[in-house]
Amino acid sequence: MKNKHLALQPWLGLISRLTLGGVLFVAGYLKIDKPDISQMAVRSYEMLPISIANLLGLVLPPVEIALGALLILGALTRVAAALGGFTMLVFIIAIAQAWARGLNIDCGCFGGGGSVAAEDTRYLQEILRDLGLVFLAAYLVRYPFTKFSIDKKPREISEAKGDVE
Amino acid sequence: MSKAKNPAGGKDNFTRNLVIAVVIGVALIMLVPTLLSKQTDTSAAIPSSVSAEDGYGIVFNKELTDVPFIEIYEDFQCPACARFESIAGGYIEELITTKKAKVAFHTLSFLGGESQIAANAAACSADEGKFLQLHKTLFANQPSENSGAWTTSYFSTLGLGLGISSSQYDKCIADDKYMGWVKNVAEEGAKRNINSTPTVLINGKEIDRETAYSSLAGFMLAIEKA
Repeated sequence: MKNKHLALQPWLGLISRLTLGGVLFVAGYLKIDKPDISQMAVRSYEMLPISIANLLGLVLPPVEIALGALLILGALTRVAAALGGFTMLVFIIAIAQAWARGLNIDCGCFGGGGSVAAEDTRYLQEILRDLGLVFLAAYLVRYPFTKFSIDKKPREISEAKGDVE
Repeated sequence: MSKAKNPAGGKDNFTRNLVIAVVIGVALIMLVPTLLSKQTDTSAAIPSSVSAEDGYGIVFNKELTDVPFIEIYEDFQCPACARFESIAGGYIEELITTKKAKVAFHTLSFLGGESQIAANAAACSADEGKFLQLHKTLFANQPSENSGAWTTSYFSTLGLGLGISSSQYDKCIADDKYMGWVKNVAEEGAKRNINSTPTVLINGKEIDRETAYSSLAGFMLAIEKA
């Protein structure tokens, strides 16, 4: 079992990287040229003071693009995965509190956002999707060295230790 | 990982650090201009009917104080706004002409490009006293979002159709004279926590989402109660 995982791990890592990185990159890309909508999406969670929500609405898209690009390229994988996973955790908390408080909003994850009709909310799907991404991020933090990445495994160190994983 | 241990390591690290630096650099290049453009520009040209203290809205019956104050936040490209205009637009116009309400129109531009062009043109038409006509015409003939239909030449022609025959109007449109104002309206809407279009307030309170947007009777009732 362990040996099987050893062989598969770089490939599983690659899939995790491309999935998490791809989602982050696309999410940022779809919002980057629509700052007004992005700000509105953050405001509508009613979690932050309006001025801070507006600032976050501007900052999030380029940060998502950067984290996504780093993960897709496989550079700074562990740090990017940790930050990506952290943002997903924050999104889960934000969506869950909106759901619990009975707000009717779109998560605005891929553009859009703001108030929607009660029957158009998708809280459960959004939380499950983000949970899956948190899992991928955690996997990458645990095993940051993957196939086709710019990060290179520090070979001599792992060999000296007998490559425990 | 030191050079002594791995002779190739130095080069690898250089590529890696370069990639990281480029990615972070590009993100900053995207972020900084947006942050700077999101400041309210108090020196921007504003139409004469605009009141900065009313959130840069185009205001009708500014002088009236003992009537309901209707504030409408809308985007010329937003289909729900066109629906609201077709339901309540005529009544609102009547309230304006009979001086039974003070009304502020906030032309937001959530939907980008052509919303901004349209908002600028609306401000130009306000200077010619044709805002309400242009407003009605745009919503009645709303094309699909950013389809390329709303260009500056479209608005010049539309002006002629509405009986505007001033070179100032054409120049106002061609020069994007009120684009700074358009951004201020958006910025002010963001500060006032406007999270969907249309958003309609009567005396500062949003009308009922369930009833007052979708039916004229519901909207009239909301005005009555104000």
